[in-house]
Amino acid sequence: MDIKINETPVRTSRNFRVNNITINNIDIPNKLDEFKNIEIIAQNITTDCNKENINLVYGNGDVLLSNINKEKNSSLKITTTGNNKQIKLVYSFDDKNLNLVNDVFLDIKHDSNIVIQYCSNTKKECFHNGIVKLIVRENVKVNISIVNMLNNNSYNFDSIENDLEENSNLKYTIVDFGGKYSISNYYSNIVGNGAKNDLKSVYLGIDNQVKDINYIAHLKGEKTDINIDVQGALKDSAKKNFKGTIDFKRGCKKAKGDENEFCILLSPKAKSIALPMLLCTEDDVEGNHSTASGKVDQKSLFYIMSRGFSEKEAIKLIVRARFNKIIERIKDDEIKKEVLSQIDERLN
Amino acid sequence: MASKTKVEDINRNIYDIKDKDNYEFKMQKGLNRKIVEEISKMKNEPEWMLEIRLKALEAYNKLELPTWGPDLSELKMDEIATYVKPKTNLNTSWEDVPEDIKNTFDRLGIPEAEKKSLAGVGAQYDSEVVYHSIKEDLIKQGVIYTDMETAVREYPDIVKEHFMKCVPITDHKFVALHAAVWSGGSFVYVPENVKLDIPLQSYFRLNSPESGQFEHTLIIVEKGASLHFIEGCSAPKYNKVNLHAGCVELYVKDDAYLRYSTIENWSKNMMNLNTKKAIVGKNAQIDWVTGSFGSKVSMLYPMSILNGEGARTEYTGITFAGAGQNLDTGFKVIHNAPNTSSVVNSKSISKDGGACTYRALVRVNERAKGSKCSVSCESLMLDDISRSDTIPVNDIETDEVEFSHEAKIGKISDKEIFYLMSRGLSEEDAKAMIVRGFAYPVSKELPVEYAVEMNNLINIELEGSIG
Amino acid sequence: MDKLLEINDLYASAQNKEILKGLNLNINKGEVHVIMGPNGAGKSTLANVILNNPQYVKKSGKIIFEGENINDIKTNEIAKKGIFMSFQSPEEIPGISTLNFLKYAKNKVSGEPVKSFKFRFLLKKYIDELNMNPKLIERNLNVGFSGGERKKNEILQMLVLEPKLAILDETDSGLDVDAIRTVSKGINMYKNNTNAVLIITHNNRILENLDVDYVHILVDGKIVKTGNKDLAYEIEKNGYEKYKKVEE
Repeated sequence: MDIKINETPVRTSRNFRVNNITINNIDIPNKLDEFKNIEIIAQNITTDCNKENINLVYGNGDVLLSNINKEKNSSLKITTTGNNKQIKLVYSFDDKNLNLVNDVFLDIKHDSNIVIQYCSNTKKECFHNGIVKLIVRENVKVNISIVNMLNNNSYNFDSIENDLEENSNLKYTIVDFGGKYSISNYYSNIVGNGAKNDLKSVYLGIDNQVKDINYIAHLKGEKTDINIDVQGALKDSAKKNFKGTIDFKRGCKKAKGDENEFCILLSPKAKSIALPMLLCTEDDVEGNHSTASGKVDQKSLFYIMSRGFSEKEAIKLIVRARFNKIIERIKDDEIKKEVLSQIDERLN
Repeated sequence: MASKTKVEDINRNIYDIKDKDNYEFKMQKGLNRKIVEEISKMKNEPEWMLEIRLKALEAYNKLELPTWGPDLSELKMDEIATYVKPKTNLNTSWEDVPEDIKNTFDRLGIPEAEKKSLAGVGAQYDSEVVYHSIKEDLIKQGVIYTDMETAVREYPDIVKEHFMKCVPITDHKFVALHAAVWSGGSFVYVPENVKLDIPLQSYFRLNSPESGQFEHTLIIVEKGASLHFIEGCSAPKYNKVNLHAGCVELYVKDDAYLRYSTIENWSKNMMNLNTKKAIVGKNAQIDWVTGSFGSKVSMLYPMSILNGEGARTEYTGITFAGAGQNLDTGFKVIHNAPNTSSVVNSKSISKDGGACTYRALVRVNERAKGSKCSVSCESLMLDDISRSDTIPVNDIETDEVEFSHEAKIGKISDKEIFYLMSRGLSEEDAKAMIVRGFAYPVSKELPVEYAVEMNNLINIELEGSIG
Repeated sequence: MDKLLEINDLYASAQNKEILKGLNLNINKGEVHVIMGPNGAGKSTLANVILNNPQYVKKSGKIIFEGENINDIKTNEIAKKGIFMSFQSPEEIPGISTLNFLKYAKNKVSGEPVKSFKFRFLLKKYIDELNMNPKLIERNLNVGFSGGERKKNEILQMLVLEPKLAILDETDSGLDVDAIRTVSKGINMYKNNTNAVLIITHNNRILENLDVDYVHILVDGKIVKTGNKDLAYEIEKNGYEKYKKVEE
C-alpha cells in the first residue's frame, strides 16, 4: 500500500513538496510473533506491558498508529523507582526477528540516563514501527538517546512524544543512520513552567537513503526552553527532509526557542530540504532559527589534507568533528563507539 | 523629525472615501463562458486572447482552492461581479477626466505625482485605465508605456509572446481566474540598452462594491536596459468582501535590471490574492521592494526565476498586520542556472491580534552550481494577542552552493526603549522610532516620497496601539 | 549653595537581588562628584535607578531633584527635567540618523523648536572639539560605531541636550588615553556653575584633567567613604579591601 505520513503541523504550498512524505508499495506487517531479541539493562525500575492504546498528538499517521495499537509484538512500560545511571534497551533484528512493532512507555520520576538502540544483525529488510512515549516528572533530569543503526534495506518509523512537567530537564539525542526510509516524528509538550528540552540529532544519508525528520515543540509554560540542533551529512543520492517547528503558545512568557540545522552535502546528487518553522502567539519570547547547507568547508579540507590526510579521510574527520559534540551525549560507551565506527564505515 | 510632523496631516479617510457607484455597465454576478466571451468582445480583442481566456476559465473550474494558508471561506466567487467599466474612455489629458473621478485622484495625490514629473502616470480606476500619460522623452527612446488593452491591440506580437507565459494559467486557481477575466493594467517595454533614471509608477484602485480587480502588468526589459517600476495600491472601504487577483509578469532579459517596488495599502476588507513572477536572464537582476500594510487577507509571494547564468535577485519586504488582518506573504526563488544569487531580507510586525506569516521557497536545483543564497527574516510582536509565523522551505539539490537562512522573533527590547526615553522620548515615540528603524531596510529602498508615505502608514498603524 | 540632587536612604534591586542598601548622596549645582567602587557594588544600578529604568525596582528611599521627588516619574520626563545619563553600552537604533535624533531629542527635552542654523553651528563646534568624524552623525544612531565613537557620541548628546545633571556611567571604560582626554575635555566644556556632573568609574585616569569636588567610595550598595581627589589616588594604590572590611 501507499502511505502519506509525517505531516507538518502547518501546511504550506503543495508545490514545495514538504507537507508530508509518501511511501509507496509498503507492506505493513501484521500477525507478528513476539520480538524476542530485546536486551534490557537497568536498576531502579519496574516494568510492565502497556495494555492501553496510545494516542499521539502528531505521530506518523493513523495507519502506522493503529498498526502499533493492534499488532504490536513488543510492549514495555517502565517506571523508575530511583535514580538510574543507565537504562539500556537494545532491539536486535536478525533473520528470525525482522519485524518490530512496539511501544515504549517511560514514566520517569527520578534522574535517569536512557539509551535505546535498534540494530540489524542481518542484511534482510527489517521493519520497525515504534512509539517512545516519555513523561518527565517535576524537577527530574533525563538524558535519553535513540540510536537507529538498522541496515540500509529497512524501514524505520519512529514516533516520539514527551510531556515535560514543571522544572524538568530533558536532553534528547537522536542518531539516525539506518534504513532505506527512516521517518522520525518528535513532539515535545513543554507545558510545565521552567521546563527545558534540548534536542540534538545527527543523521547520515548514503546511497538512496531517505530521511524525513519532523520535530515539533510546543512551548506552553512560562520560562520554558527548547533548543534543537540538527547536524547531518548526505552522500550519493541520499535525500533528507528536515521539518522543525517551534510553536510559542500564548502564555509562554519569557520562553526561549532556538533551532539550528546544518547539512553537509557530500555529493552533487544529494538533496536536502529544510523547513524550519517558528510559530508565535506570544510577544515576550525569544525565537531564533537558522539553517545552512553546502559542501564541506574547503578551507578546513585543505588544512587537514595539508597535514597528510587523503580527501576521504579529511571529509570523515570533518563530519565526525561536527557530529562529535552530539554523539558525546550518549551515556553508553559501547554504543558511542559503534556510532563512531558506523560513520567511518558509511562514509567509505 | 520630518515624518513625525506629517503624521497629523495624513487622514486615513482619504483612502476610504468611496465615490457614488457610477458605472454604465456591470456584468451579471457569477462567472461562466458567456461572461468571458462578453468581456473579450467588449474589448475588441483578437481571437488568440479570447482563446487564452477560455482555456483559463476551464482551468479555473478544475483547480481547487489552496489547502494551506489563510482561510478563504468567506470568499464567494459567485457574488463577485468581475468587471466594471467606468463611464469614461481613455483620456490623454487631465482636463478630460470626469469630475468625480478626478476628485478621488486628487485625494490620492496622483496629479501631484505627475507634477513632480515622475516619468508617467497610469492610473487605474475600477477596471479600465482612464488616465494615462507618458513623457515625450520616453517615446523618443522607444519606451512603450500604456495600458494592457491598448498593448493587446497595438503590440500584439510582443504581448502574445509574453502574456501568461511567465505565470502559467494553471499555476493556481486565482491565476486561472485572473487570466479568464483580466482587465486593465500596465504594459511597459524598454528597448535594448535604454536606461530609465526616473521611476515609472502606476496606481490601482478598486471603487465598486463586490467588484474584483484583475489588472495585468506586463513589463519587458530588453537586453542591457534598466527600469524602476513603482506600483501603488489603495482602495476605499466596503462592507462586502472584495477580491483582488492581479497578475504581474516581468521579463528581465540578459544584462538588464529591473526594480519593482510596491506599497500595498488595500482597504481592510480586501482579499488580496496576487501573483507576481519574474524571469531573469543572464547576468540580469530583479529587485523586489514590497510593503504590505492593507487588506484583510493577503496571499502574496513574488517569485524570481533565475534562468540565466549569473542572474541575481534581491527581495526586501515588510508586512504589517493589525486587527483583523491575516497577511501571508513571502518570496520564492528558483535558482535554475549556474552562479546565480539571491538575497532575501524580510520583516514583519504583528499587533492588535493581527497575523503575519512569512512563507517562502528557496529552490537551488542541480543546474545551479556555484549559486549563493542568503535569507534573513525578522518578526516583531507588539503584543500577546497577535500572531507571527515563519514557514520557509529551503530545497537544495546541489552541493556546489552556499546557502544560509536565519530567522528571529521577539518583541521590542526594553533596553532600547529605556535608552531613547532617557533622551526625552515618550514610550510611545520610542516604540514608534524603533519600529520605523525596524522597517528602515525597506523604506531606504524606496524613493523618498514613498518612504515618507510608508513611515506615515506605520505611524498611523501604530497610533493608539502602543503607549 | 543650590541643591540639585538629593538621595535619601535608597534601597533598590534588580532581578530580585537587592543591590542598593541605604544609599545617601547630595549633589549641588557647580559640583563634580565621582563614585568609585568594586564590580558589583551598585554603581551602574545607581545611575539606572535615578533615571527610573523599569528593570530596577526601588524598595524605599527618596530621589529628589530640584526639590521634587522623582521616584515614580517616567524616564523621558526625568530627561526633560534635566538629568542625562551617558550609557555604558549605548543601544544601536537603526533607521534614524544621529543628526536627526539629536534634533528630535533636543526638541523633546527643551520643548522648543530647534533652530536649524544655530544647531548645526553648535554641533559642528562640538564635533570638532571632540575630535569626531563629522560623517558619523549622518549614520544611524550608534549603528556600526566603534566603542570609542559611541562614548564620544554620548558626550556629544550631553553637550547638545545641556542637562542640569550629567551622570556618566563608565564613560571612560574601554577607551584609550587620547579618547579619555577627549571625554574629559567634553566634560569641561559642559561644566559650569549652574549644572553638575556625577562620574561613575573605576579608573582615575579620567579625573586627571578634571576639577573634582568629591570622591565617594561605593561598596555593597552604600557609600562608605567620601573624600577629595586624594581618595581616588589612595584607592589606586591600595584597592578597596580596606573599605570592604569596614563593611563587615
